Amino acid sequence: MTNAKPKAEGKSDDDEAPDGGWGWVLVGALFVSTSLVFGLMRSLGIFFVEFVQYFEESAQAISWISSTGLAAQQFFSPLGTALCNAYDTRVVVMTGGCLAGLGFILASQATSLVHLYLTMGVISGLGWGLVFTPMVATVMAHFTRRRTLVLGVGFSSIGLSSFAFNPLFQLLVETYAWRGALLILGALSLNIVACGALIRPRRRSKAPAKVDSERRSSCAATLRRVSSYLELSLLVDRPYVVYTLAVTLLNVGYFVPYFHLVAHSRQAGFSEYQAAFVMSAAGATDILGRIVSGWFSDLGHFRLIHLLTVWTTLAGLFIMLLPVSSLSGSYAALMAISLLYGFCSGALTSLVFAVVPMIVGVERMMGALGLLQLIESSGGLLGTPLSGLLKDVTGNYTASFVVAGGFVVLGTLTMTTLPHYFSCKELPPPQRRSLGNKDKGLDPELEQMHRSPTDTSCRGVNEVCSNLKECEGDNWVTITCWKNAKDME
Amino acid sequence: MAECCFIHFSRGDVSHRVRASTLHAGESHTENVELLNPVNLALQCTWTGNQNKLPNITGFWRKDGDEVENSRVTVQLEGDEYELKRVFSIVSEESLGSYSCVFGSEAKIEFVLAAPQIGEVRDKPIVSYVGDSVVIACKMEETKPKPGSWNWYKANGTDKEQIFVVAEPLRYEIKNEERKTKLVVHNLTEADGGLYYCGAVYAISTTMGHVELKVISFQEPLKPFIAIVIEVIVLVAAILLYEKSQSKKNYTEGSNRETQGENNGPEGSSSTRQRKI
Repeated sequence: MTNAKPKAEGKSDDDEAPDGGWGWVLVGALFVSTSLVFGLMRSLGIFFVEFVQYFEESAQAISWISSTGLAAQQFFSPLGTALCNAYDTRVVVMTGGCLAGLGFILASQATSLVHLYLTMGVISGLGWGLVFTPMVATVMAHFTRRRTLVLGVGFSSIGLSSFAFNPLFQLLVETYAWRGALLILGALSLNIVACGALIRPRRRSKAPAKVDSERRSSCAATLRRVSSYLELSLLVDRPYVVYTLAVTLLNVGYFVPYFHLVAHSRQAGFSEYQAAFVMSAAGATDILGRIVSGWFSDLGHFRLIHLLTVWTTLAGLFIMLLPVSSLSGSYAALMAISLLYGFCSGALTSLVFAVVPMIVGVERMMGALGLLQLIESSGGLLGTPLSGLLKDVTGNYTASFVVAGGFVVLGTLTMTTLPHYFSCKELPPPQRRSLGNKDKGLDPELEQMHRSPTDTSCRGVNEVCSNLKECEGDNWVTITCWKNAKDME
Repeated sequence: MAECCFIHFSRGDVSHRVRASTLHAGESHTENVELLNPVNLALQCTWTGNQNKLPNITGFWRKDGDEVENSRVTVQLEGDEYELKRVFSIVSEESLGSYSCVFGSEAKIEFVLAAPQIGEVRDKPIVSYVGDSVVIACKMEETKPKPGSWNWYKANGTDKEQIFVVAEPLRYEIKNEERKTKLVVHNLTEADGGLYYCGAVYAISTTMGHVELKVISFQEPLKPFIAIVIEVIVLVAAILLYEKSQSKKNYTEGSNRETQGENNGPEGSSSTRQRKI
């Protein structure tokens, strides 16, 4: 849905000031779609009991279903973001929603475990990959000053919805058996399509069309175009690589408590009920942490990267302290450390995404997030089996937790090697050097997003560009807004 | 308060088992006795008495609330205690039940004689669909002795009808392991719904556990499914229509603005800051 006409007439659709207006509607859409992706994924455990009984397979074989789903979501994230760069985000997200729903609808007809892997795992996972990262990137593009807060609010839906989904799914399974329940879940997942419909199409200049006609014959040019959609050039961008490495190390240790805390508490001698309650309490502080950290980060007192460092260090520390507290035998100590861990892990989740546009700039954010999701998934894939292995070798979970916390702290240390880490002021995000090879034309709304939170005199640039036909297709240097404001008396 | 109160159990030799119990003051007490095979069981009750230690009191036995014939005896106070002992011949299911020894009109100990009960039984109904197949399972815990075999029954009104696989091999399948049994019913129909009983067969009797099966047609979940799909379609249509009406409004606004902008042309271009390279 590219708009070939000059900016003027379509402009008013995008003229909402950043941090408001339609942006909040999109936050609501992010809330709903994230809950239908990750909140749903977290509550699938209820079905697994039924699957074990019906298909007569081991619990481990059944748990591969959600592992496949998560892996597919992360693997197809770059595909989703590339398609958004190439085509329209709205179409991509709506397609993703349809796929996610289709996966569950087909799963309701499954007659073997392999069917479940393919439908609930691959198809739904593909759908989720086309939904999550594009929605996050779209919301982030609509906000500057409140970016971290809206991310926190959006991600808090994961915890909140899993509170709601657990009893709901239980009720569905008891009333309709797992087949009927999966069918209804498929219909619920289709609501993601409605969320996607809320994304307004981006106005794009004619540049892509003109450029395409020149390059239709060249295969290398197609590859170049694909790599630009995937933002593969980021893989040689040092700050991005460092950051991705840090987040991957973070992922190695981050999930370990979710998987092993209950078992570890049971092993330390606490009852099933106590162990489950610890998990729920940590989940509650997780939700709180996301929102509070989002709100606090946007106050602007500290740089986002510094805040992220603080939260990750604390989270790593608390993970390492978890076995110590439970081995001491005190339930209060275990509960306290778990609550603190929950808060810190929620706090860092909002920031991990919000830092990305600071490092790569807003135009490349979409592709950057997709690649980040893919690369960080390797951390998760490594972390959980490693912790399980350590537990099997040593006999208890102490080593697993200490190693997990160590990886998190290692990720923090890696983050400190980012360029300009120790400067106190937030640096301007990188600007695009030249548009010669790029297919996107000048997008004035992006200039608005580049502006630093304190600069409010930028409105002039938008008005300036909108009347000019020269905006289309030529080689323009994107001048960031605050520089321009100085030039314009 | 009279002292009393240590419970002691004693067992005699194999064929002549003794089960004993001692009573707290002012309480009645219940013992559960698990039996597998027919046996001559001696039940022994000891009571330390109350404040007035009468030299003689009447004691008798009850089975399931009815007094056992010829069981009334006079009990002597011996060594500060009263004792009642009787041998019961437990041969079949009718002999199982609740046996009580009663001292005078106050003290009572109840022995509940039964075969091992099936502990883990699914209390919620199993739901399945017409044409699908379903697995109904029963399990005897590891701590209890394993049954000789398993039987399955389907409730028919107030009766239970045993399910024989031989009669309908295409529809029913029974898979037995030592402590677990599974009944598989293929090609379900609505009539297959209801209570199913699994019976663990011991020499003395068969203990039952029950599971309820509900069979529903595929239209059931289809109703909420279609309702939600319609809701999604309506939402998407509403969102797209709203956007279209918004953009039409802006189009007319925008074209007005454009004509204004062209009037300001020269001034507009002087404020442009695009640098063409």
